[in-house]
Amino acid sequence: MSSTVVYGTLGAIFNGLLVGSLYSMMALGLSLIYRVTKIPNFAYAEYITYGSYFAYVAAVSIPGSKGLVPALLLGLISAALIALASDELGFKPLWKKGATPLQLLVASIGVGLILRYGLLGLIVLVIGSRYLEIATPQRSSTIFTLGGLASFTTAHALAISTAILLAAGLWFLFTRTKIGKGMRATASNPTLARISGINIYAMRRLAWLLAGGLAGFSGFVYAYYNVVNPESGWLMLLWIFAAAIMGGFTFFGVMIAGVILGLAQHVISFYGDLYLGVGAKYSPVIALVTLVLVLLFRPEGVIRMEALAVRRA
Amino acid sequence: MAVEIGGIIVQYLVIYSVYAILALSFNLEYGFGGIPNFGKVLFVSLGAYAAGSLVAYIVTGIGASALGVEIASEGTPPYCTGAGKTAMTLAVSQGIVGPSSLFLLFITSLALAGIVGAIAGIVASYPALRLRGDFLAITLLALSEVARLIAYNSEWPACSFNGISGIPGPFAWLTGKSDLAYAGLSVALLILTFLYVDMATNSPWGRALKAMRDDEIAGEVYGYDIPRLRMQALAIGSGLAGMAGAMLAFYSGNVNANTYKPDLTFMVIAATMLGGAANNIGALLGAAVIAGLEIFFNPSSLEALGVSLPQNVSLAMPYLKYVIMGLIIIGVLLFRPQGLIPEKPLRVPLVEKARKRLQELMEKR
Repeated sequence: MSSTVVYGTLGAIFNGLLVGSLYSMMALGLSLIYRVTKIPNFAYAEYITYGSYFAYVAAVSIPGSKGLVPALLLGLISAALIALASDELGFKPLWKKGATPLQLLVASIGVGLILRYGLLGLIVLVIGSRYLEIATPQRSSTIFTLGGLASFTTAHALAISTAILLAAGLWFLFTRTKIGKGMRATASNPTLARISGINIYAMRRLAWLLAGGLAGFSGFVYAYYNVVNPESGWLMLLWIFAAAIMGGFTFFGVMIAGVILGLAQHVISFYGDLYLGVGAKYSPVIALVTLVLVLLFRPEGVIRMEALAVRRA
Repeated sequence: MAVEIGGIIVQYLVIYSVYAILALSFNLEYGFGGIPNFGKVLFVSLGAYAAGSLVAYIVTGIGASALGVEIASEGTPPYCTGAGKTAMTLAVSQGIVGPSSLFLLFITSLALAGIVGAIAGIVASYPALRLRGDFLAITLLALSEVARLIAYNSEWPACSFNGISGIPGPFAWLTGKSDLAYAGLSVALLILTFLYVDMATNSPWGRALKAMRDDEIAGEVYGYDIPRLRMQALAIGSGLAGMAGAMLAFYSGNVNANTYKPDLTFMVIAATMLGGAANNIGALLGAAVIAGLEIFFNPSSLEALGVSLPQNVSLAMPYLKYVIMGLIIIGVLLFRPQGLIPEKPLRVPLVEKARKRLQELMEKR
C-alpha cells in the first residue's frame, strides 16, 4: 500500500515535471507577446494545436524514427509563422489604430475562433468525419520505470531538457545580446525605444516568431506522448494563463510558476483520486483557483523574477 | 415545404429572442457600464440548470406519485433515470400536470432562473471591483469554463454528461403547435426585456453607468457609488442572462453542459459589437444577424429549405459559422469599432428645455 503511494507520487511528479515544463514554455511565449504587444492573447492556444497538427503531418509522411526531427521542425516553424501572420493581419493594424487591451483581447478571441474552427472545418471537409484525434505514429518510449508506477519516458526527457536549454538560451538572448536589449526596451516603453533608434516592428515580429515557436514545440511534444484533438490547445489555455499571471509575466517567474502548476495538477489529482476518488477531471479547478487568488491578492504576480530587466555591468 | 419554412421561422424567433435578451444584457454591462462580463455563458447555464432541474424534479415527482411508481435512483436526481423520464412524459401526455400548472411552473422557474443569475452576478461583482478590464475578462471566462466542467462531471443537479432531458415546456400539451406558441411567448418576453433595459439605460441610473464606464474617478467625485453600480449592473445583466438560459432550456427541452461553451459568450459579444455598444436597438440588430447565422449554418434547417449540400460541406457548416463569427469580430474592430448603429449622445429633456429657456431670456435682453 505505502509503496503504491510512494511510487504513485513519484510518477505524478514525473508527469508533473513533463507537463509543467510544457506549461513553462507556453506561458513564456504568452508572456513574451503580452510584454511586447500588450495583448492577452487567447489565440495562443491555437498555435499549439496547429503545431501538433503540422508535426503530425510531417511524422506521418516520413515513417520511422527519422520522421521525428522533421515533425519537430515543421510544428515549430508553422506555429511561428501562423503566430506572425495573425499579428500582421489582425493585431498590428488594430494596435496602430490605438486599440485598448480589452479590444485586443476580443480580437484575439476572434483570431482564435477563426483558427480553431477553421481547423475543425478543414478536417471535416478533408476526412469527412466529425472529429480527428491525432498522435504521432512514433510514440515516446519508456526509459526506466520505478515500482511499476513511475515511468520516465523519452517525452519526459525531451520536454524537461528542452525547457532547461530554452530557458538558458532565451536568458542569454534577452540579457547578453543587443537584440535582447532592444526587445526589453520595446517591452517596457515602445515610444522611447523607437526614439532611441530601435526597430520596434522588427522586435515585434521576433517576439511573435519566438512565442509561436515555443507554442509549436510544445504542440509537437504534446502530440508525441498524448492524443491531440482540435480543442486540446484551448483546454490548456487556462493553465497557461494561470502560470503567466502567477509569474507576473516575468521570465524566470513564469517558468517556475509553470512547473509548480504542472506538479500541482498531477500530484493533487493523484492524491484526490487515491483518497477521494474524484480523479483528474476536476483538475482545472486548481488552475482557476490559482488564477483568481493571484489576481485578487497579488495581481502583480507571486514569483517575480525578472531576467528581462537584468542590467549588464 | 411551407410547414418546414414555418418551422424555421418559429425556430429563428425563439433563438433570436434568446440572443437578443443576451445581447441587451451584455450591452447593459459592457456597453453602458464598461464591465467586460466574458462569463456570460456561466449565468446562462446557471439559469438553464436552475429552471430545468426544478421543473423536471417537480413533474417527475407528481408523475411518479400519480402513476404509483417508485423511482429508484442512487446518487442521481430522479429525473436522470429512465423511469423518471417515462414518468415525466406520461405526466404531461396523460394530463396529470395540466396546462395551467405547466404555465405556472414555467413562470416560477423563469423567476427562479432570474434570481439565481442575479445572485451569481452579485458574487461575480466581487472580483469585478478589484480587477482591470482584460484580467476581469480572463477571470470570468475561466470561471465559466470550469463551471461547465463541473456540471459535465456531477450528477446533482446536472445528470453529468448526459444532461437533463425531456423538460416539459409551458405548451407541452399543445401537440404540434407548441413551438409556435412558445415563439410567441419568447417574443413577448423579449419585448418586455427591451422596454425594461431601454428604460433603465435612459434613466439617471443609466447615465451613472456611462459615467462609470468613461471615468470611474470622476464618477466617484460626482457622488456615484461605483461598487454598488457595478454590483447592480452585473446583477441585472446576469439575471436577464439566467432567464434567457431558462428560455433556451424550455425550448430545446434539455440542458447539456456542452451547450454552454464559451462560444456562446463569443456569439453574444459579436452580436453586441456588430450592432454597436451602448445602443439597445443596435443590440437587437446584431442579435438578428447572429441568430440568422446560427439558423442558416445548421445542416438540418438548410435541408428543410431544400438546399442539398455534399455531406462533407454540410458537416463543416457549423464550424464555418464560428469562422465567420471570428471574421465579424475582427472586421468590426478594424473597420467600424462603433458598430453598425453608433452610440447616440444622451438626451435629457429637462436640460434641453432649460437651455431653450435661457436662450430665450438672453435674446430678450
